[in-house]
This record gives sequence, structure tokens and C-alpha cells, in this order.
Amino acid sequence: MDHGTDSTEIRSPWEESWLRLKKNRLSVAGFIVFTLITLLCLAAPLISLHDPNEMDMVYGPKAPTTEHWFGTDTHGRDLFARTLHGGRISIAVGFASTVVALTIGIAWGSTAGFIGGWLDAIMMRIVDILYSLPFIIFVILLMTLFERSMLLLFIAIGFVEWLTLARIVRGQIVHLKTMPYIEAASCLGVHPVAIVFKHLVPNLIGPVIVYATLTVPAVMLLESALSFLGLGVQPPDSSWGSLINDGAEKIKSYPWLLVFPSIFFSTTLFALNFIGDGLRDALDPKSSN
Amino acid sequence: MGLVRSNRLKRFVALAILTSFGGLVGSYAKSKSPVDRATEEKILLLGNGSEPKGTDPHLVTGVPESNILNSLFEGLVNYHPSKDATVIPGVAKRWESNEDASIWTFYLRKEARWSNGDPLTAHDFVYSYKRILTPSFGARYADFFYIIKNARAFHQGEIEDYNEVFTKALDEHTLQIGLIGPFPHFLLMLRHYTWFPLHAKTIEKFGGLENRDSQWTQPDHFVGNGPFRLKKWETNSILEVEKSDTYWDRKTVRLQGIRFFPIEKYSTEEAAFRAGQLHYCYEVPLDRVTFYRTKEPETIRLDDYFGTYFYRFNTTRPPLDQPKVRKALALSIDKESIVKYLTLGGERAANSYVYPLADYRPIKEIFFDPTEAKRLIAEAGFPNGKGFPRLKILINTAENHKIIAESIQKMWKDSLGIEVEIVNQEWKVYLESQNNLRYDISRSGWIGDFLDPIAFLKIFRSSSGNNQTGWKNDEYDRLLDQVNQTGNPDQRYALMQQMEAILLEELPIAPIYFYNRKFLIHPSVVGWYPKLLDHRPYKLVDLKAP
Repeated sequence: MDHGTDSTEIRSPWEESWLRLKKNRLSVAGFIVFTLITLLCLAAPLISLHDPNEMDMVYGPKAPTTEHWFGTDTHGRDLFARTLHGGRISIAVGFASTVVALTIGIAWGSTAGFIGGWLDAIMMRIVDILYSLPFIIFVILLMTLFERSMLLLFIAIGFVEWLTLARIVRGQIVHLKTMPYIEAASCLGVHPVAIVFKHLVPNLIGPVIVYATLTVPAVMLLESALSFLGLGVQPPDSSWGSLINDGAEKIKSYPWLLVFPSIFFSTTLFALNFIGDGLRDALDPKSSN
Repeated sequence: MGLVRSNRLKRFVALAILTSFGGLVGSYAKSKSPVDRATEEKILLLGNGSEPKGTDPHLVTGVPESNILNSLFEGLVNYHPSKDATVIPGVAKRWESNEDASIWTFYLRKEARWSNGDPLTAHDFVYSYKRILTPSFGARYADFFYIIKNARAFHQGEIEDYNEVFTKALDEHTLQIGLIGPFPHFLLMLRHYTWFPLHAKTIEKFGGLENRDSQWTQPDHFVGNGPFRLKKWETNSILEVEKSDTYWDRKTVRLQGIRFFPIEKYSTEEAAFRAGQLHYCYEVPLDRVTFYRTKEPETIRLDDYFGTYFYRFNTTRPPLDQPKVRKALALSIDKESIVKYLTLGGERAANSYVYPLADYRPIKEIFFDPTEAKRLIAEAGFPNGKGFPRLKILINTAENHKIIAESIQKMWKDSLGIEVEIVNQEWKVYLESQNNLRYDISRSGWIGDFLDPIAFLKIFRSSSGNNQTGWKNDEYDRLLDQVNQTGNPDQRYALMQQMEAILLEELPIAPIYFYNRKFLIHPSVVGWYPKLLDHRPYKLVDLKAP
């Protein structure tokens, strides 16, 4: 009897997904690592003994010591402090830009998909046109036209990352619209707005979460590419991208300037990608148990 | 039989593998770096900093352009390979001046030719002087020519007839130039690229005297008179010149060609040099200086260089229009620390503006003084930097400038409590911004065009195209005119010291350090001597495998 009840226990799709996710060791590990790094970066002022912008030109660039765990840069600034503070900016850019991309993408995609017809055609052609623009040039254009600021950086990156999401959302909506349960709801006279929120949105969340987790690392990479070009974070602030850029220039003389930020950056990217992969497998109802 | 055959086969295969492997090894050993091959072909591979803005001698102002123009043209007189204050004959085979050195006559060599074969005449020189002085042409270096009689009046529109300007072609091969006063250094000045002759027919063909966007500088149209001629120019990739077969002294020219590579990133350029792709690395990344000085001292060269590194203030933008603010900013830069810990190439902190020469010393200097700076910024209405707008430091894209800018950003924050941003721009964009006063504070440098303090001081004349700060001072302009009319060296220096004192009182600029030329050079380059003015007569440079 005991066994019988166990096997016939009814679980909601969310519970199913949660169980599947827990079984995926890589993504659990990814989740733990990412949380650790984020906490470390957030607690930077408490952990690090040094101000990230405090220069000591007399001390100059030195390899790691017990005083400076990651060594110091050309101006004698503590690299440990700079890496943690850089992480705050990189992670912030990653999440903020993803939120921007999500907002635009979902609004755009669901409007196009739900209303359909000529509006859909026009909106999706706009997406196609934006797609055809080389995105890095688009960002550079935005960054040079307007005053450079962190906010603009978030928006600029979010602005190029929403396109794929809009397509995914639209595809889902178009597909879901024809589902029998939606038709049933329509026939029963449920208000279109209620249909959207009660029936369509819950079914969208899966792919959107997956895409969002995979967008965060993509955005962080884009930010580092921009910092690499000198368009991202402005000195004296640093992000992982700008630190890696500085380090790459001085790799022969001061290799630690490249090594430490790179370890942090790539670990975070790996962790986020594992989480994303795990979520995709877990949230896909068609995937096998 | 079968066994034997298979053995033979094996041996054959083994042999084949061995030979092909040996061939691979052999070919690897034989493969030469681009530098080795170029040395054999006598082609000089030069890193040349930023992408050149152009090849029109009357329009460019930068050092990368100057290096290229010195290969494509030749002036009346030429640079000596090792001595800065000595000239060697160029287009002029001899010259003479009147007693007080105010009227100069040049006798041009009859065999001088343009790269298209046309004979080079005195009229070409007159034409080209007329072009740079034409008011509507708007050359930034035009004030360089104000020492010629009536040139200033013509350039400022006071006289319309160019014939009144004292530049005369007495005949096809005799050129006479009259100056507003005695000027013994005139020959040194003539080597500068703005004084090069231009091919009048070509200029006329492509829009004439006033056309700034002329197509004559395109490789297909280009006509020069130098030891080399323009072969190809691919933007951001390469500018190549090849030995000219019409140059009068072509027998002396050893090099078959020069390739100028624009590599803005110092670390990239240094990597290219190490990989054997360049004979000459234009700049050394700051972090590599110590390595070369200790490990490969024969590769690195640290030569004195006739230039000053400074920050320009845009004096038309508040609060930089207040001299007190500018002074506070200038006084709070710790120049000694910058040269000691950052630039590392033996540069000297600049407490004045003109590069110090043996016989010229400043009478006023400004030293690092954060206390006084703090007092001044409070007096100007920004106690502890309160209410001070967020200004931007404009730099051109290069690590060394960024490193210095970051340290100055920090110094200003520490001493004055003000926040500034750093903005970097690519060389051409940066030059445009600076020319159009679209900046707050701009990283700058000035390399003296000839060995005289006036080469530094003349650029801050109110009307000079190289002023680029919006700063105007009548007294300064008056003294400059006086210098140009004074022959006595002691009097000249006294006047110039006064000019420099005015500049350092008003501070449209904040001097940082006196340059040192840091570069890497391959041992095969012959004839690249240390020079205060880094101009090279390429016709006397040679390549020899060491």
C-alpha cells in the first residue's frame, strides 16, 4: 500500500521540473558556484582590505603576495578588490540588460503573436531588419551618439538582445493560440486578456526562463567585448571585460592581471550556462524523465 | 618474394615518410621571418603609430604623417642623418643669404624631377607657398609662413595680390625668399614638410588651390619629388612607398621601398616586432620598457626627443575659462611620479612648456603643489571640488595615454575632490575633436618642427591653427611678432622667455613631461642615429643582414 500511494502521487508540472533539475548535478553545481561568486562580489567591501581605486604608484605592479592576493596593476591598485568590484558591474550588466531584453522581447513577441495579421507581419519584419544589422556596430552607434553611462550600457545591450526572444515568444504564442484548451476558453466566453494571463503566459514561462539564463552570459560577454573596445565601463571603474582587456595587453610582463579576472569570468560563464542547460531540460515537458 | 616485396614496400614507405618529414623540417628551418626577407629585398618595415590622416603636406599635422611625407618629398634642404642642427642639400644645390639673413636665394638643381618625370622648378615652390597661405584653403600650419614678408597680410586677407608676398622665382631654377626680419635658423625650418614643393599641374587638375578635399593624394594621382613614390595605401592596413626612378639622387638611395604599418595598439605592435614582422617598433608598451632595458638593451632605444607632453584645456568652456581653475588643475598633477613610475623611459617632468635646450632655459616654472591647488580651486568657487562639473579627459586610443590619464584622474580627485571621466577616440576623430574645440581637457603633445624654442611657442598665437585651446593673448602675439623680427639671439631668447612666462601664468595647457623617444629597432637597420628631432632622411638609411 505504501508503495502504491507513492507511485500514484500526482505532481504538478512545476514539481516534476524541480525534481528533474535537482537530478542534474552539473546545473546544481553551477547554481552553487554562481551564488558563491555573486555573494563574494556583493560582499567585496567587507572581504577586501583595499579600495579598488586606491593607487600606489610607488609600489607599482607586483605579483600576488599575502597583502595583495591577486597582485597589483600598473598603478599599484589591488587586483583582488578590482576583480570583485568588476564582478559587481559585470553581473549587474548581465542581469539588468537581460531584464531590458526580456521586457521588450516579451511585449513585442506576444503582441505580434496574439494579434496576428498585418501587425504581426510588420512587427516581425522590423525584427528581421534589426537582425540584419551587425549588432556590435549598433551598440557602438548608441554608445557614441549618447552620453556614456552605465544605464545606457544596460539599455544598449538589452536593445540588441531582445530580438531572438521576441521570435521565441511570438512562435510560442502562435502555437499556443491553436491549442484546444485555448479554443475551449474562447468558446466559453473568457475575456482575451484573461486568456493571455491565465493560459498563455504560464505556458510561456518555461522557454523564457531558459532563454533568460542563457542571455545573461551572452550579455556579459558582449559587455566584455565592448569594454575590450574601450566603449564599456569607463575608468577608474572596472568590469571583468575591461580587466581582461588590460591584462591581455600586459600578458608578457604581468600575467596575473589576465589570469585572475579570466578565471572569475569564465567560471561564472560556465556556471550560468550549466544552469541554463539544466533548466531547459527540466522545463521541457517533452523531455524524458 | 612476397616477403621481400613487402619489406621493400615498408622501406619505401619509411623512406618516403622520412624524406617528407625531413623536407618539412628543412623547409621550416629555411622559412624566414618577413623581416629577414624584407632585409634581403631592402624593404624597410616600419611601425608608424596611428593611421595617417592624409598625405597632403599642407593639411596634415601629425607625426605619423610627417614620417611618410619625408619619404615622398624633398625640400630645398634635407635632414642630416645624425646632426639635428645641420642641413644637407636637397632640391637646392646651394644657397646664399644677404648680410642680416633676411633675404635668401636658393639655386635649384636642374636635374630635380617630379615622380611623373616633369622637371621641378622654382615656380612649383612659389605655387605651393601660395597654396598654404591662401586664406580660403585654411591650412592649420599657415602661421608657420608668417616670417615671410607680407605672408601674414595675405593670409589674413589684408592684401589680395600674392605677388606682394616675397617668394620669387627669379628664373626656372632660382628661388628667392624675403623674411620680415633676420632669421638665421631659416634653413632648419625649411626641412619641415609644410615647405615641400607641390606639383602645380596636378593640384590644378584636381580642383586647384582652394580645394581641401582634393583627390590628388590618391595613389593613382599622387606626384611627389622625394626618393620614394606612393605605391599603395590601404586604410588601416598599410601605406607602401617604392624607390622612385626619377629622383635626382637615386644612386644614393639604398632602400627599394618602405612599408608603413599603422598599428595603434602598442602591445600589438610590439608583438609584431617580436614575431619578426617589423624592423622598427614605433612605441614600446610601458610595461615592457623595463624588460627591454634589462634583458635586450641592444633592441630598445631611448633617445631624447624634442617634444613636450601636455594637457590642453578648452578655455572657451566654463569653468576652464577661469585661469585659477586651470592653474589648480595644472598644479595638482604630480609629474615626477608619472615619469618615475609610469612612463619609465627616462622622460623628465615638465615644469615649463618649451623643451629645454642648452642655451634656452625658462624664467618661470610650475611645480606640483596640491596645497596651493586646493586654495585656488576654493577661490574659484569650488571648495573641495563642490559644484565642479564632471569634465572629460579626451585621449587618443593608446594604452600609455590611458595609464597616464587614469593617474591624473586620481590625482585630481585626491587633491581637488573633482571627478573627471576619460574618453578615448581614434586618432583621426581625436584630431577633429581637438581642432573643433569639442573637448574639455585633451591629452596632447607637441614635437618641435625645428631646433628653436619658437617651434613650441608659435603654436599658441591666437590665430594659429595649432592653438586649439581657444586661448587668446594680445601681449603674447605681440611678443611673437617681435621675436620674428629680431636677429640678435640673446634678445630673441629673452623675448621667448617672456612669452613662455605668460603661457605658464595663464596655463591654457598643463605641461606633464618632456618626451623621450622609446622605440625598438632591428639590428639590420643601418643609419638610424639618435636625433633630438626624429626626422629620418630615408635615402641614407640602409638594411644589412647582421
